[in-house]
This record gives sequence, structure tokens and C-alpha cells, in this order.
Amino acid sequence: MTQAVQDSDVRADNAGPRRSFDGLRGNRALWAFGVLALTWVAAILFARGFDSLASVRYLVQTASFLGIVAVGQTLVVMMSGIDLSVSAVVALSAVVCAQVAAGSGSTVAVLVALAVSALVGVVNAAGIVWLRLPPMVMTLASATVISGALLIYTNGSPKSASIPLLDALANGSVAGIPLATVLWLGIAAVAVWLLHLSRLGGYAFALGTSEPASRASGVPVPVTTLVMYAACALLAGVAGLVLLGFTGTSSLTMGNPYQLLSIAAVVLGGTSILGGRGHLLGTVAGALLLTLLTALLVAWNLGEGLRQVTLGLLIIVLLLVYARERRTS
Amino acid sequence: MRNRLDLLGLCALLAVVLIAYQRLDPTLLHPSTITILSAQFLPLILAAAGQTIVMLTGGIDLSLGAVLSLGMAVFVIYPPDAPGGVVAAMALALAVTMLAGAANGVLVAYAGLPPIIVTLAASFLWGGVTLIVLPQPGGHVPEGLVRAYNFGWYGLALPAVAIGVALGLWKLIKTTHFGLALYAVGGNEHGAYANGIDTRRVKIYAYGFAGLFTGLAGIGLAIQTGSGDPTIGVPYTLNSIAVAVLGGISFFGGVGQMRGTLLGALLLGLLTNLLLFTGISTFYQMILQGVVLIVAVAVKTLATRKAVA
Repeated sequence: MTQAVQDSDVRADNAGPRRSFDGLRGNRALWAFGVLALTWVAAILFARGFDSLASVRYLVQTASFLGIVAVGQTLVVMMSGIDLSVSAVVALSAVVCAQVAAGSGSTVAVLVALAVSALVGVVNAAGIVWLRLPPMVMTLASATVISGALLIYTNGSPKSASIPLLDALANGSVAGIPLATVLWLGIAAVAVWLLHLSRLGGYAFALGTSEPASRASGVPVPVTTLVMYAACALLAGVAGLVLLGFTGTSSLTMGNPYQLLSIAAVVLGGTSILGGRGHLLGTVAGALLLTLLTALLVAWNLGEGLRQVTLGLLIIVLLLVYARERRTS
Repeated sequence: MRNRLDLLGLCALLAVVLIAYQRLDPTLLHPSTITILSAQFLPLILAAAGQTIVMLTGGIDLSLGAVLSLGMAVFVIYPPDAPGGVVAAMALALAVTMLAGAANGVLVAYAGLPPIIVTLAASFLWGGVTLIVLPQPGGHVPEGLVRAYNFGWYGLALPAVAIGVALGLWKLIKTTHFGLALYAVGGNEHGAYANGIDTRRVKIYAYGFAGLFTGLAGIGLAIQTGSGDPTIGVPYTLNSIAVAVLGGISFFGGVGQMRGTLLGALLLGLLTNLLLFTGISTFYQMILQGVVLIVAVAVKTLATRKAVA
């Protein structure tokens, strides 16, 4: 896989300026960073309060919740899957952690929450691999089941919890950088290795490009699917814990925004929703971009409705600029 | 043939559920029960019908819930004493949702973006428009209409009639050139194009009709609940997809029938109600819904895979 990428780079270099411009057009993750930089400059120039260090700090801190979920979503989308259960897992992890912490201490609670989250990913993968369910159906169904299970588990009223470890993780900072952001970037680094440098990542790309072809050439589909979906769910669980630390309470609907926004961040980051094309770092830019846009619209004092309309239109325009698919599949 | 087996399986399941239902609630076939049940099921049935049309072209509509709320919002804010009254309100709401759907269709047809992404962005767009139209729950629905709709009009189950009319309309649409083209585009887009079908126009029409059915669902929900709510439509997005898949509509387009969707919606709705009768907490509804979806689709996929091998 890496070999093929290098080959195409070499070809692009050899073919003169025109080809390398095509190469730039093709590198949609770079586009995401470019658009992010432009938007940030525009925000500093045209809106108040985006030029201070504190605002940058707050922005990267709030972006990290979405960012962590979106990194996981990227792993799954790259193999042309999709995970609609991330919203439910965010809530699951926070609610379970808050509930368990009340009885058996915070360390146990964090571990249990993460284990339960990863388990959801394993179940998703099992349904997709062995029951042959389309990823959208399987993850949608598990999201529904989780939401129902949480209602029963909490009897409709989830607890709040103050867990020092999570509080520090969500609100603390190291050398001026919020810990949540450090965590996010650390996770992104590991995910870059998993997706772009490890053998398993190559399999995921191959699956995203063509499932029949990769099956035929011996890609271990079950293992790849299992690892990617488990990692995605685990990261949604981590995001839920950080959110729990940030707000101090858990709720059954706290994950809802992340279901579609995580997919939007992945796609804005230049990853093809059809799989097999893109770079994980693009998603980091995508999550930052979405958070920045939202903050910008809030700063302009638009009402909730206008804000959503503008966000929707902006997403469409940005996707038209650099995320169009060639007419394939 | 395989399609017929699918539908037979659904019918058999539905029959079992109906018999169980009849035992728990002997008034099942009374006009009043039919009225209440059809009022309760109408939004999901029509939303799923809209989703089905889009899925038949090989697309998907993630903005369906937002468009449903939009139709509801436009319907309830139309002033009751304005010319045309409630009929004008319905016409306006349907026109708006149809246009919203068609706009989705234009983006899908011309933008070169996958439907899932276009409609994902559109879900923010239409959700925002809905909040501008109706910032808070409220609005006005004529009281007489609410009563007639929920409790029957001279013994006539109005919601059931509305569902019948809507599905009749679909039958009519299906017999047209567009109906054929719809399946052709979903089954093999390049082939359809090569055979002279204007695939872009077919897609725009399909999303437009989906908007129409979704608008009807929104109006039904408004009349059932007696007011409007700008965010009540959200769950219908994924529920409509679940019902369509349950009814045998393929994600890849061109496969499945509206009958299947109707059966899927009835099955899910009746099962949910059955749980209520058995006295199990309503919290279990969602778990049941998820499990039914997994089991039904898995059984179908595994069965058809064996038939192929």
C-alpha cells in the first residue's frame, strides 16, 4: 500500500508543474488545512475575540471532543464503513463512568467505561463481518439498543460525577496547551501510525478501495474490521469521558451532536466517504474547521436557526470546492 | 421470486404479531382502534415511504427528519384566519418540503457528491430553516381537525384514509415513465443513462417526491399532536431508514417495493405497542427495535446468500 502511494508521488513529481498541481488538487487533506488557515485568518480579521491566545486555547480545547470522535470515525470510513453508534457510545461511556464511580471509585469507573465502549465496537464488527449487515444498519441498530439500555440502566435519570482525573484531563493544561488537546493530538498520532504506517492500516485502505479485490488477495477482513471498529468505539468512549470531566454531568443525549458532526469532520478533512482515499491528519483539520466555524457563527450573534443554515451551506460549499468524487462506483 | 419470499416472510411475521395483538386487545379491528393506531403510525409510514423512494435510486436522505419538522413548522405557523385556512397551510407546507427535497436532489444530481454527504449537510440547512420558521414548540392546528383526525370523522379513520391515498398516489407514480426510470437508475445508473434516461432529472424528481411524502408525514404529526415542534422530526431520519431496510429496500438501489416498507413500518409499530400491553417498561422499546432490525436484516442477508451460493 505504502509502496503504491510512493509510486504515484514519484510519477507526479516527474510529470512537471501541471501534474504536480493535479497532485495538490488530489491531496484533499492539504486543502482542509488550507481552508482552516484561511478561515482562521478571516476570523481574526472580521470577528472580535479570535486574536487572543486564550481564544485559541479554548477553541482547540473544545475541538478536541469532536476531534477524538472524528479520529475514530476516520478509521472506519477509510475502509468504506460508517459508525452511527458513536453518539450512543459517547453517552454510554460517560453515563456508565458516572454511575460506577458512585459505587466503586473513579479508576474502576474509567476502566469499565472504556471496556464497555470497546465492546460495542467489537459487537459492531461482529455484526458486519459475520451477519453480513451493512455497517449503517448494524451501527444504527446498536445505537438504538445502547440508548434503550442506558434508559433502563439509569432509570431515565443519569448521575453527575466529579472525577478528579477526568476533571484534570478536560480542564487542565500543560505548558499552556489544554490537556484535552494534548490527548487528542496523541491519539491522532497513534491513529496515523495505525492507519498509514501499520500493515493493518494498509488492509483498511485496500478494503476501502475494493472489498472483493482485497478479499481475493488475502486481506484478513475480520481482524481489520474488528480492530478499526473497536478503536472507533473506544475513542468515542474516551471522548465521552473527557466530556464528563468537562461538564461534570452525564446525560443520555450528550453524544447526539457527534453522530453527524464526526462524519462531517471526516469528510471536510478530505477523506472520501466511499473509503480508500484521504489522510487521518485531514480529519484533525476538519474537526478544528467545524469548531471554528461554529464559534465564528456564535460570535456573529446569529440565532440558532441562521447559524445552522449557514453551517449547512458552508459545509456544502467547502465540499464542492475540494471533496467532489469522481464518477465511480 | 426472492422479493416475493421476502414479502411473504414479513406478512407471516405481521400475522403473528396481529394475532398476539388481538388476544391482548380484542378491540383491534374496531374503527376507533384503527383510527388511533393509524394516527400513531402515519408519520413513520409516510416518512419511510419517502426514504424508500430515495433509496430506490441508490441514494439516502439524512435530512428527512429536518424536512419533516420543516413541513410541520410551516403547517402550524400559517395563520388560521388567512385565506384558504388549513387547506392553504397544507398546500404551502407540502410545496416547501417538496422544494427542499428537490433542492437535495439537484445537489445530488449535479454536485458529484455522494448522497449521504449532501443530505448530511442539508440536514443542518433544513434544520436551521425550521428553527427560523418556528423557533419554539407551538403553533396552531384547528381543534376540530385534531379531534376528527384522532377520534374518527363520522366513524371514518382519517389517518388510514390519508395513508391509503398517499400509497395510491405512489402506485400511480410507479406506473409512469418516471416510476420505471426510478428502478432503472437505482439498478444500473450507467445503463439507464445509456438507454436515454435523464438520470439527473429522475433523481431530482425522486428527492422531490420524497419531500412530498415527508411533508405529509410532518403534517400528520402536527395534527396528531395538535401543535408543532421544530426538533421532533430528528428520530425519523434513522427510523425511516431502518423501516425501509426492514421492508427489503436495498442500500444499493433498484431493489425493493413500497409494500415491503409499509409492512416494515406496521410491524415495528405494532411490536412497540405490544410491549406496552405486556406491561414491560417502554424503555425496552428501543432495545427491541434494534434487535428486530439486526435479526430481520441478518436473516434476510444470510438466507439470500445461501440461495446464491
